[in-house]
Amino acid sequence: MKLSRTGYGALALATTSALLLAGCASGGSSNGGTTTSGAITVGTTEVVTSLDPAGAYDNGSFAVMTNVYPFLLNNPVGSSDVEPDIAVSAEFTTPTEYTVVLKDGLTFANGNELTSSDVKFTFDRQLAIADENGPSSLLANLDSIDVVDDTTVVFNLKEGNDQTFPQVLSSPVGPIVDEDVFPADELATTADIVAGKPFAGPYTLESFDQGNLAAYAANDVYQGLWGAPANDAVNVKYFANESNLSQAIETKAVDVAFRSLSATDIEKFESTDGLNVITGPGGEIRYIVFNFAIQPYGSATAEADEAKALAVRQAAADLIDREKISEQVFKGTYTPLYSYVPEGLTGATESLLGLYGDGNGGADAERAAERLAAAGVETPVVLNLQYAGERYGAASSEEYAQIKAQLETDGLFTVNLQSTEWGQFTKDRVEDMYPAHQLGWFPDYSDADNYLTPFFLEGGFLFNHYNNEEVNTLLREQLVTPDAAERTAKIEQIQDLVAADLSTLPMLQGAQVAVAVDGVDGVTLDPSFKFRFGTLTK
Amino acid sequence: MTVDTIAADAKPLAVKSSKGGGLGRYLLWRALLIIPTVFILVTMVFLLMRTIGDPITASVGDRLPPDELQRRISEAGYDRPILVQYFEYLGQVLTGNFGTTISDNRAVTEVLLTFGSATLELVFYTLIVAFIVGIPLGMLAAYYRDRGPDAGLRVFAIFTYATPVFFSGLLLKLIFGIWLGWLPVSGRASIATELQIQMLPNPSGFYLIDAIRLGSLEAVGDVLSHAILPALTLGLMTAGVFLRLVRTNMIGTLGREYIDSGRSRGVGEFRLVTKHAYRPALIPIITVIGLQIALLLGGAVLTESTFEWKGLGFQLAYYLSARDFIAVQGIVALLAVIVALSNFVVDVLAALIDPRVRY
Repeated sequence: MKLSRTGYGALALATTSALLLAGCASGGSSNGGTTTSGAITVGTTEVVTSLDPAGAYDNGSFAVMTNVYPFLLNNPVGSSDVEPDIAVSAEFTTPTEYTVVLKDGLTFANGNELTSSDVKFTFDRQLAIADENGPSSLLANLDSIDVVDDTTVVFNLKEGNDQTFPQVLSSPVGPIVDEDVFPADELATTADIVAGKPFAGPYTLESFDQGNLAAYAANDVYQGLWGAPANDAVNVKYFANESNLSQAIETKAVDVAFRSLSATDIEKFESTDGLNVITGPGGEIRYIVFNFAIQPYGSATAEADEAKALAVRQAAADLIDREKISEQVFKGTYTPLYSYVPEGLTGATESLLGLYGDGNGGADAERAAERLAAAGVETPVVLNLQYAGERYGAASSEEYAQIKAQLETDGLFTVNLQSTEWGQFTKDRVEDMYPAHQLGWFPDYSDADNYLTPFFLEGGFLFNHYNNEEVNTLLREQLVTPDAAERTAKIEQIQDLVAADLSTLPMLQGAQVAVAVDGVDGVTLDPSFKFRFGTLTK
Repeated sequence: MTVDTIAADAKPLAVKSSKGGGLGRYLLWRALLIIPTVFILVTMVFLLMRTIGDPITASVGDRLPPDELQRRISEAGYDRPILVQYFEYLGQVLTGNFGTTISDNRAVTEVLLTFGSATLELVFYTLIVAFIVGIPLGMLAAYYRDRGPDAGLRVFAIFTYATPVFFSGLLLKLIFGIWLGWLPVSGRASIATELQIQMLPNPSGFYLIDAIRLGSLEAVGDVLSHAILPALTLGLMTAGVFLRLVRTNMIGTLGREYIDSGRSRGVGEFRLVTKHAYRPALIPIITVIGLQIALLLGGAVLTESTFEWKGLGFQLAYYLSARDFIAVQGIVALLAVIVALSNFVVDVLAALIDPRVRY
């Protein structure tokens, strides 16, 4: 074929395009990404819904807020308990008055002074906006706030001696905002927040491309508990899914990958040269809820029998081997949970460990059979068990297949397993449709109460018809017990009582896992469940 | 049939044209059809989104008691009669107000502008790949009809067209990104380039343009290197369609008498193929491009998610999982408009090229 002028033109175009693309490819980074020099790049799959503390109540948004906004109280590194952050003191001055005194000379990154007026504005604003996606419900016990002087504020509480209130001030409802930047009665836009620089936390947010990239710089005016950041700048790259985040850390396109990587990838990275896996206790828990009305022998069933119903729950607890599920399904990224308050928090116990199974965490089918026989329960017990893989991850199907297999050991149970779409699941679970079902929880703040009161006080949000007056009394008491040791004892007692009743069956506690490339240090994963950029070094 | 006979066939149509109103009426009719197309799509999405639950339940359904959950749902107005919500939504849309997303509190118009430009950029690269690969190879296959190269190219076309984009995308990432380490596996640019683009006054959202504005060859190369794998993933799928279409039409035109006539007059083979046979074969391709836009946008959802290409498809997947009615409705409405408009443009082009289409 003889080429014409047009033919040569087409060939030239094609060749140029190919060369250009190839040239560009070689001009790009060889490892699939280029991190900015000096800055540490963190990759995550979390989603930021808003930079305005009044409009977001999710992990992704709180992770940003933790690093850019100041808090009155916060968790020191390594602790789940709280201490004054930008405050010099914070204490109950009367049972219903919680007085906070700010440090002198606090300012925001934009130069505005941070005074008690900003503090009052922050919390009044949360209550005024009460956004449906916001955390204002955490302020249910707050009646009003008085400004005493520029550095002193008094929180007037509805119920006295609320021991969770200091924790609430360190929670997603607690970031202090600049009254000159944020509107009093509506949410601020992301663009206005970034432009207004209302940051008095360890970092300022230099740019924020929502869902894609955030650039942080160390904040010179930060005077809080965590001290000056150990690095000058951090970039956070947001990924759509675990797989893409995994590839990014594997190709070293990011320096640190945090939340969430699949169990399989984490296991692989543990033996990958140049990558280091860092773990810490996590706040997330997975558990099974028993519906006391419609479970086998439940109060609303034809053969209602409280003793038999309890035996069924306890036999189920005897048959569960959490360690096996942890290892085989989650490769250790979730660890066995033997009580209601997870490991790492003040008041955590292992109440179920001695009560059920072989006493060491393993299953004991013989004990389960004896328990059922003693109560006169006919076997196999038919149990309809529901789970929501859409909500709790793809591994749920494998997790619940394991649970089914364990419960059906020696023919003691016949488990009908079913997965339901999340929207339908949330409706059905409170309408007595599921005798037993899966749920998960991530805490609002790092206090044991957050794993107890919402669940067990007069049935809590579970709506599973569990109500134990002794538990209710203890829950109310611990909430207002100022003495830490006395309060901890009550929290432990509550767990022992619920472990005997088995309103829910605690299954697993999620570990926090990060993967860092060689040369990056300071990844700190502690029971505060807060990821601090300021400890990272490269 | 010769060129002369084609012209002769067209004569009666031209007479009819003068009676029926011709191109203007045809275009008006096609333009008006856009309205019910978009309306029906928006209505269907509105109704379907409400069958999969509300965003509040999706977000906090496992941490609130039912009464508190219901209170929040009521406050947001999601429990009102669906017709009330529908007419309210239509009223807003007609006034150009697409609302604010529920899950991340952003103006839908901002979402459409931000992510729409990314999708447009991907479609642009995709069409380049589709044209560069599909058309020349289609011509080659037609020229070597039923011989070795033709058979190979037909298999290649079927392979590229039939392979799901999420699979081909993962395969390309694995080979060129992970194993060989030649190309980036995700994103539209490296973090360093993205930070520079963010600092530009009024960035266009079209990264290639923004990188050129930066005046940095490295940034341009970086942006293009990130585009290669997603463009190949989506572009090869489209190229397979083009290849087969060009081949089929070229075989038809290569068999025409005027080609033999040209050959007998000493016209070169390359010129015969690329000019005389190729141009008449282009008309059906133009029509197919219109249909391909819809397929491309569908493929973009998977491609964008696979490559972290943060465009409309990527965001649509996120908003769907969050049951964000407002965002999904806005994005689908825009996609419907894009598809309807691109089909309209194709209809116009086809009518201009071939008057018979107007009837």
